Amino acid sequence: MASSHVPSEAALAAEAAPRLRRRRPLTWSRVLRGSVPYWLILPVLATVGAILGYPLYSLVRLSFQRYGLFELIQHHGVWVGLSNFGSVLHDPVFWHTLVRTVIFTVANVGLTMVIGTLIALLLVQVSSVIRVLLTTGLVLVWAMPPVVAVQVWLWMTNYENGVVNYILTKLHVGDYMQHDWYASTFSMLSLVTALIVWGAIPFVVVTVYAGLSQVPGELVEAAEIDGARPFRVFKDVTVPILKPIFLILTSLSIIWDFGVFTQPFLLIGQSRIDTSNYVMGTYLYEQGYFFHDFGRGAAISILMLLMVALLSVVYVRKMVQFDEVR
Amino acid sequence: MKARFVASLALVAALVAVSTAAARTDSPTRASASKITVWLQVDAQSGWPELVSSTNSAFQKAHPGVSVDVQYQTWPDHLGKFDATLAGGNVPDVIEMGNTEMTKYMAAGAFANLSPDKGSFANSRSWLQGLAASATYNGKLYGVPYYAGSRVVTYRTDLYKKIKAKAPKSLAQFTSIAKKLRARNGKKSFSPVYIAGTDWYFAMSFVYDYGGTIATFSHGKWHGALTSSKARAGLAAYKRFFNVASRASRTGTEDRPQPYDVFAQGGAASIVGPAWFSCCTGKKYKSVTNQFVMPGHRAGQSMPGFLGGSDLAVPAGANDKALAKDWIRIFTSTDGEKTLQAKGNIPNATNLLGNSVNERAAKRSWFVPTAKNWVNVENGNVLRTMLARILTGKDSIKEATSTASDNITLTLNRP
Repeated sequence: MASSHVPSEAALAAEAAPRLRRRRPLTWSRVLRGSVPYWLILPVLATVGAILGYPLYSLVRLSFQRYGLFELIQHHGVWVGLSNFGSVLHDPVFWHTLVRTVIFTVANVGLTMVIGTLIALLLVQVSSVIRVLLTTGLVLVWAMPPVVAVQVWLWMTNYENGVVNYILTKLHVGDYMQHDWYASTFSMLSLVTALIVWGAIPFVVVTVYAGLSQVPGELVEAAEIDGARPFRVFKDVTVPILKPIFLILTSLSIIWDFGVFTQPFLLIGQSRIDTSNYVMGTYLYEQGYFFHDFGRGAAISILMLLMVALLSVVYVRKMVQFDEVR
Repeated sequence: MKARFVASLALVAALVAVSTAAARTDSPTRASASKITVWLQVDAQSGWPELVSSTNSAFQKAHPGVSVDVQYQTWPDHLGKFDATLAGGNVPDVIEMGNTEMTKYMAAGAFANLSPDKGSFANSRSWLQGLAASATYNGKLYGVPYYAGSRVVTYRTDLYKKIKAKAPKSLAQFTSIAKKLRARNGKKSFSPVYIAGTDWYFAMSFVYDYGGTIATFSHGKWHGALTSSKARAGLAAYKRFFNVASRASRTGTEDRPQPYDVFAQGGAASIVGPAWFSCCTGKKYKSVTNQFVMPGHRAGQSMPGFLGGSDLAVPAGANDKALAKDWIRIFTSTDGEKTLQAKGNIPNATNLLGNSVNERAAKRSWFVPTAKNWVNVENGNVLRTMLARILTGKDSIKEATSTASDNITLTLNRP
């Protein structure tokens, strides 16, 4: 942020220049020269418009149409106004799914943030050899594609000969041989949570660890001299300094976990997914693609988009506030 | 440095390979009159590639200059890909469809009407009733039966010999065999008859054996029928049999793990499923693998099995329908069907039927309701959820069938 003074001075100078020039008569060449910045950002705007704007427009249009397999073949939807939204909002399955997804998201984000922060704090304390080993392990986890991770998870929790079942039984936790991890919604979604948290922790650890290196040693020392215990130091020194980082990580995690699809879809498996274990991602996919109701699917995704957008507004406002404070 | 260079080179190569591969699968080249595109399932690639290549060469002899691009698909994702081509307008000329997948697409007008050409396909007068019905909608023919497969019991003769048992003739006999097998093998995870809890193909066979059905059609509406006393009796019999015979997960599905893998690892004395399961029972048990037709609850009568199968259809938007039909004609000729039969499949016509266990099982069979929304019942896992709730005891048979039946009525009657 310290360097922000330099460009702002330059910007001031740039702003001042046209103000002086404006008194002179406008010529084509001057207009052309003045519009150069706009021409320069035009390709970016056009690209963003094409890859984000058009699909979004199509999605909105689709959500107002009846668009099933028949319409897909005809390449022509039937305008139905708000009836897709009405049918979704009157569907109890939607509300159950929404509540389930919110709880699921809170659990996932909470666990990811807490465990990630704890490991980051641990990284500061351990010797450099251990730190390198831990970081390597975390990066490996991060590098593993979700599809592969799901296969490993499935193998470990296999009903017939799962490694987890075997280990829990050997540790005398109970008789877990032939324990069915997929028998109840809670157990199923807990597995999905474990998988997602496991995969998301590295990002949090690396970011928080980087943030921790920004905490001035003098402040910590001063607090310690004043008699603060480690937890107090963390709460009153570290956390306030890391607040922007926590905010960014939490917001991003919420956005990711709220719409997560790959892990629940693959781990639960198409043949087990039903109304009792939907999360928003799988609900949307089933309604849109499996039941060939693309209009309804589009309506659900717009509703999801609105919810995530609302969260993003909160997040962006907070970020702006932080910048102003600084 | 060198390692980094090599690594980045490999990365670039991989990226290029991935992007070209993606380009190839995502945008199948638009067929012109000089080429037809055929979508077959990988079963043809692994099971009978020689039939495909001989069909192609015979086709090219009849139509010089026309090439055939056979693209192999997999069951779980071929419909999604087909939908994408319907949206994009670059559909294949011939597509293999599972018989339970046909109705929804026929109702939506995805396929060309083949009724006028019916007589030109080999053995069309004696096509298997179940298969021909799956390719017919509102009295019009939209597909040509390709082959069928029935479900049988694959068992280990060595274990059956030890308890002096032969292939059972009734469900009661089979149950007592399962009890004896269980008594001789103390291993907790050992299944006398491995059945995945939510294997609805097998469970519904009990419903049909007891005279029940999944849904009926009357007065222009579908009615879920699992609440009938006969259907409930069938499900009660299924639960009893499962509890005696199977140690598989009560909420598990028949593809995770594959039953033949459990068999090959020594975890089961018998498995239920398609006749081709005999392919994969493992080196150790290959010589002691045999099959019988699943017996029903009435002695001497077999249990109706689900008749699975495939049809070949010509999408309505295909470039050259005449060429497409010609390719199907050659592929499903009597010779072609005999090749399929030799590979352990059921040929598409009754006059070609032999006496293999697969073909004997096909004589008493059932098929899913031919409603255009049936596939939504399947994809919504309505029956699987019902079975899991019955077997785990979360719901009584009465409760579970009521819920499922209401759900089926609702789904099938949706516009």
